[in-house]
Amino acid sequence: MDSVPGRARHLEYAVSICLLAVIFLIGIGVFIKQSDYDMSRFGISATPIELPSQPLVLTREKKPVLVSLKPRGFDSLSETEVYESENLYEKINGKAPLYIDSGFVKLFTQRFISESDEDLWMELLVYDMATTKNAFSVYSVQRRADADILSLFHPSNAYRTSNALYFIHGKYYIELIGSSESGELSKAIIAAAQNIQASLVVDKIVAIPELSLFPQENLVPGSAKLYLANAFGFEGLFDTFTAQYKIDGETIMAFLSKRAGITEAKTIAGDYRKFLIENGAIPKKAIDQSLEGKTFDFYGTTEIVFSVGPFVAGIHEAENQQTAEKAARLLANKFRMFTEAVSDE
Amino acid sequence: MSDKEYSNFGRRQFLARAGKAGIAIAGCGIASYLLYDPTGPRPGVKVEDLVTLADFSVPHKTGQTMSIVQGSDRAKTVDKAIESLGGIERFVKPGDTVAIKPNVAFATPAMLGATAHPQLVAEMVRLCYKGGATKVIVTDNPINDPTSCFTLSGVGKAASQAGAEVVLPKTHLFKYTTLTDGRLIRNWPIFYGPFYKADKLIGISPIKHHHRAGASMSMKNWYGLLGGRRNVFHQDINTIIAELAMMVKPTLVILDGTEVMMTNGPTGGSVSDLKRANTLIASTDCVAADSYGCGLLNLNISDLPYLAKAEKAKAGTNNYKSLNPIFATVS
Repeated sequence: MDSVPGRARHLEYAVSICLLAVIFLIGIGVFIKQSDYDMSRFGISATPIELPSQPLVLTREKKPVLVSLKPRGFDSLSETEVYESENLYEKINGKAPLYIDSGFVKLFTQRFISESDEDLWMELLVYDMATTKNAFSVYSVQRRADADILSLFHPSNAYRTSNALYFIHGKYYIELIGSSESGELSKAIIAAAQNIQASLVVDKIVAIPELSLFPQENLVPGSAKLYLANAFGFEGLFDTFTAQYKIDGETIMAFLSKRAGITEAKTIAGDYRKFLIENGAIPKKAIDQSLEGKTFDFYGTTEIVFSVGPFVAGIHEAENQQTAEKAARLLANKFRMFTEAVSDE
Repeated sequence: MSDKEYSNFGRRQFLARAGKAGIAIAGCGIASYLLYDPTGPRPGVKVEDLVTLADFSVPHKTGQTMSIVQGSDRAKTVDKAIESLGGIERFVKPGDTVAIKPNVAFATPAMLGATAHPQLVAEMVRLCYKGGATKVIVTDNPINDPTSCFTLSGVGKAASQAGAEVVLPKTHLFKYTTLTDGRLIRNWPIFYGPFYKADKLIGISPIKHHHRAGASMSMKNWYGLLGGRRNVFHQDINTIIAELAMMVKPTLVILDGTEVMMTNGPTGGSVSDLKRANTLIASTDCVAADSYGCGLLNLNISDLPYLAKAEKAKAGTNNYKSLNPIFATVS
């Protein structure tokens, strides 16, 4: 039975064949194009990228974001560039993983040049690290030794060297790098930093609570660092803070890592002690009885690892055992006070 | 079609058409299955289009492979280093076109030590002309915007003033290459144009800490020859650096340890990242040069796995002492 008239049937066939032919040709086109696809030809452009429609920075003026942060007497030397994790390497090459592994979101950067002296210019780099803790991590692990800690910022996570200034502001880690060590440029860099503090809006300036857990006595100012992962090469030690102490003329490195609870802290401390032994550490007799079984000789240095409440803590690579134990006791006492205070609440 | 015609659409006809549609769908499914490529796309480069960098090395001279010169003035130390190896005439012949590949990876001032020093590049250009070169090209394929890198580092101006032609990367200067025995450099674009007609190749690089590789020196300097999304190689940084040492056979490398970037590399950013070591190394063996250079970063040879890999691949020796390097000092 075939009730469709012949003319209509032929028309249907013709249309169907045409449509199938078009689909077939599209398929061939896709096949040819994909055969020629080469990822290496598709590098991400290094040219300036448009700023996002939602401004990262809120300023008083409706101008491009970073331009409004330039210090007085300076002009733009380049446009604002924005980098994301996919192309961050184009800006900082081998240092990109340090940021990406620490929660990097975006980098905004621009250069400014002095109106009066073309040899004086600076580059502003604003890293959005998502959280203050992440920003503190990249700030602290890169902090230059013997740099001047700046007190003009609060909290005082800022320092400067002869040509640059580094600080954190909320979730941002910020670098201002000068082209020379001139006094004029140095003043302009500080002015730019203050301008950023005043203009760059952040949700809330929050202190990092772990930093206040380090006893203040003998603490080397600005020495705290945060390792978000693999502290001292051990996978179990993440979110680990370190700080340096000057005790009896010796520099000692203390560390702490707050875990979810007492059991986890004990387990991590035990695992880290095993890790040390596997890597050549030898248990040694402690002078302080309370540190027995927690003190090790590690290729001529002293390692101490213990837990108090939810904290894993210790001393890393100390040259003198007596001083190391003194620092360990300071830490343990502070944690006990903290733990008791918390449990009393 | 009218309603009447539709009403005559019978069961047998419906089944026949449904069957045909089913066969067509099944055919498409089978075709998709057969055409599916689980390994993904591959570069569409014909073997005959692949290029190979020339061998720019000069004949070996026992006892004149490597020189290490102490001094704070880069122009003087490089002069002395090359003189110790037999003079510029050993490396540059009259009529040569010389390509100099400094590390100009970043748009930062020379003061920060993240790029080759302009004074050193200028002196090398001058030496090449002194040796009889008819043309000297200074070129790099930087990470940052090339114009900014050459301008802000001061290398562009210094090279031009010394009489060199500065060549910035352009798309047509890239060609595909495959490194024989290479695992990573396969059908990969390299910055080939400036070296195609060159007779000699000289690398100039500072000694820097490198967050990913441990150190950036002579061998890592060749990373600038890679095109495409070269950051993918950071996942296997030791292999790619060793393969670069296999791929590039330079005439000479100059490793500048006058000021060494000890931390926060490869970008640095602060003068305080630098330590003055007042040392410059010239060598025809970049593996040997880097093996000495790592000591200036307080690293052992074993701290940089790419040195062992490069030696294993016969790209050079990491036992630089076996070359009896020539030591000298200039005031």
